[in-house]
Amino acid sequence: MNEIHLDRDVLSTLKEVMEEGYLELLDTFLNDSEARLRVLHEARDAEKLSATAHSFKGSSSNMGAIRLAELCGELEQRAKQPSLGGIESLVNEIDSEFAHVRKLCREEREGFHC
Amino acid sequence: MQSSSEPLTVLIAEDSAADRLLLSTIVRRQGHHVLTAADGAEAVDVYLEQRPHLVLMDAMMPVMDGFEAAQRIKQLAGDQLVPIIFLTSLTESEALARCLEAGGDDFLAKPYNQVILAAKIKAMDRLRRLQATVVEQRDQIARHHDYLLNEQRVAKAVFDKIAHSGCLSAPNIRYLQSPYALFNGDLLLAAFNPAGDMHVLLGDFTGHGLPAAVGAMPLAEVFYGMTAKGYGLAQILREMNAKLKRILPVDMFCCATLLCLSFQRCTVEIWNGGMPDGYLHDSLSGVRTPLPARHLPLGVLTPQLFDDRTEVHPMSLGDRVFLLSDGVIETSDRDDQPFGVERLQQVFSANREPDRLFEDIQQALRDFRGEARDDFSMVEVRLVAPTQLNPPPPVYSDSGQSSPLDWSVSFEFRAQTLKRFNPMPYLLQLLLEVHGLRAQSGALYSVMSELYSNALDHGVLGLDSSLKRDAAGFARYYSDRNTRLDELSDGYVRVHLHVSPNGEGGRLTIEVEDSGEGFDVARVLARPVDSDRLSGRGVSLVRQLSHQASWSDDGRRARVEFFWEALA
Amino acid sequence: MSVVTEVSQDGKKLTISIEGRFDFGRHQEFRESYERLNSKPESIVVDLKKATYLDSSALGMLLLLRDHAGGDDSDIRVVNSSSDVKKILAISNFDKLFDIS
Repeated sequence: MNEIHLDRDVLSTLKEVMEEGYLELLDTFLNDSEARLRVLHEARDAEKLSATAHSFKGSSSNMGAIRLAELCGELEQRAKQPSLGGIESLVNEIDSEFAHVRKLCREEREGFHC
Repeated sequence: MQSSSEPLTVLIAEDSAADRLLLSTIVRRQGHHVLTAADGAEAVDVYLEQRPHLVLMDAMMPVMDGFEAAQRIKQLAGDQLVPIIFLTSLTESEALARCLEAGGDDFLAKPYNQVILAAKIKAMDRLRRLQATVVEQRDQIARHHDYLLNEQRVAKAVFDKIAHSGCLSAPNIRYLQSPYALFNGDLLLAAFNPAGDMHVLLGDFTGHGLPAAVGAMPLAEVFYGMTAKGYGLAQILREMNAKLKRILPVDMFCCATLLCLSFQRCTVEIWNGGMPDGYLHDSLSGVRTPLPARHLPLGVLTPQLFDDRTEVHPMSLGDRVFLLSDGVIETSDRDDQPFGVERLQQVFSANREPDRLFEDIQQALRDFRGEARDDFSMVEVRLVAPTQLNPPPPVYSDSGQSSPLDWSVSFEFRAQTLKRFNPMPYLLQLLLEVHGLRAQSGALYSVMSELYSNALDHGVLGLDSSLKRDAAGFARYYSDRNTRLDELSDGYVRVHLHVSPNGEGGRLTIEVEDSGEGFDVARVLARPVDSDRLSGRGVSLVRQLSHQASWSDDGRRARVEFFWEALA
Repeated sequence: MSVVTEVSQDGKKLTISIEGRFDFGRHQEFRESYERLNSKPESIVVDLKKATYLDSSALGMLLLLRDHAGGDDSDIRVVNSSSDVKKILAISNFDKLFDIS
């Protein structure tokens, strides 16, 4: 499993693309992700779980949150299996990976001047 | 990165706010106008309201997913190509196939690569423009096509009227023209001249459709106009040729057979320029004499070089003249072999019932080809007794208040005029100003024509009418006539017309003099009037149709009278 | 190429050979064969040796060629006509305008 929490190269490309919108992008991503995490915790059916993990995977990959995207991808696949065993621990893993990413994003936010 | 082509309006449908923000910024920075939607239903609404050029569509969205939204937008776009690029982190081939089935044109995988995105937008825009051009051209072609069809319909309607204002329904004419033939350049015209002779023209224009119909109009006009005024074939042909030569492009012309069937003289005069052989069918012997093309088609030669020489053949009651277009003999079988003249002649030999000739030919064509070609024309005219026909009376447009009643006029036509000019139509027009004469215009024209041609042929040209006793002599007579007319250097025909009141009505005296040798009047007049011989027919015709016919000055001077009563 | 053009070395004689069907489909090629020449040839030969068929639009094209070559003053020979092609030319009386063999 990839150990990169937030890919610096991706972030510098995003900075270049977004210019002054970079901060808004970081905020939007964080808010979006928190909402998705809540859904992951509350979801009772596999379909909902898989779809949310899929969307979360997409936006994480766009932000360079590579490990987070991989974990979401894993959850998406696991939710399609008949037995739902191990889901909870995977969600918790996503939780703690997102905490890392959030911390890095906030640092990124503090250090950004345009 | 700025796009090199025109800015587009791009709809981004994506439920993830961060991805939507990122993608909007990328696309906007490439120079395009951006619209956004957070789910499929919203995407369809935005599409309806703003009609974007291109859609970037996330596959998995709440409310309505990307697949369904794509299908709806494609349906709404109709002929227009609205490219849809699916945004997806889907990797399973089954899911990608679903995107295509839903109408997706391409994919863009997450994470986004802006260089690839710009390239894809550009490629899709090219495709979109190409489709727009194709649709525009298709619509343009469709509009032109409709326009053309309508023009053809109008032209055909006008043309049908012109082509059928004649006497094609006369009882001695049978014709068969496939519906396609008319607009394929085939033209069939028939009309009576003032003497009750019948003119028939079968023509075939090069080219098809509208161009052919355009040429046919002036041709028909000349045909009907000049026939009604009493002009002979030579003048009509010269006028037709000159007119077509003037108006048609160099590579267009009209093959044509023009004939004059005289029920009184029992002759057919014919000119064939570029049409297949016609046939003169002798009803007694069954012999079919070919009437081959001796001339170039109409509209090819300049008026100076045009050859208006006709052939004259004697006919008996019941004889038929058969004309056909090349559609008959050029009908090809599956190996591209033409039906040809030999096969046509085999049909002739096998034909037992003359009235079923058309059917026999059609059957032979079907047998030959498997299916009948639908662009051929055939026409057959039969020589019948004048009483069996009922030419429509001429229509006069004036009120009849200005009829001249007391006048005389004399003409002298000399050699150079006699060669190329027939004054009879003019003289007839002049006489028909006298309203009392209009009721007998046919007899008047016949008698005048007869007196004039007697004066010219037997008088000035010195031709012996007894030559016309048999068919061979008939041919010689007309060939001699052409030669002598060509060589003519002196001589004259004088015409004196005298109109005077007579009681409540009036009287016309016609005198025709010529510079010839004269003839033995007493001997000719002693013959029975209803002689059925070919020779000397002119004199008995004149005696039957007019009053007080008399000859003086050893036959060099003929005199006839016409009377009319008070007009109602 | 179904219309082949050949100009003699002295540039005085143009030979146009038609292969296959001589009908409206050859219109463009046929016109170009003589219109693209820089100088007007003194005489023109239309070789129909390989022509299988000839219709009335081909007759029209021959008239265009004749007009281009000077009308009544033109010198055009139509050679190697098959018997079927000769029949069509004879019916139209085109032998009065062209030297046909």
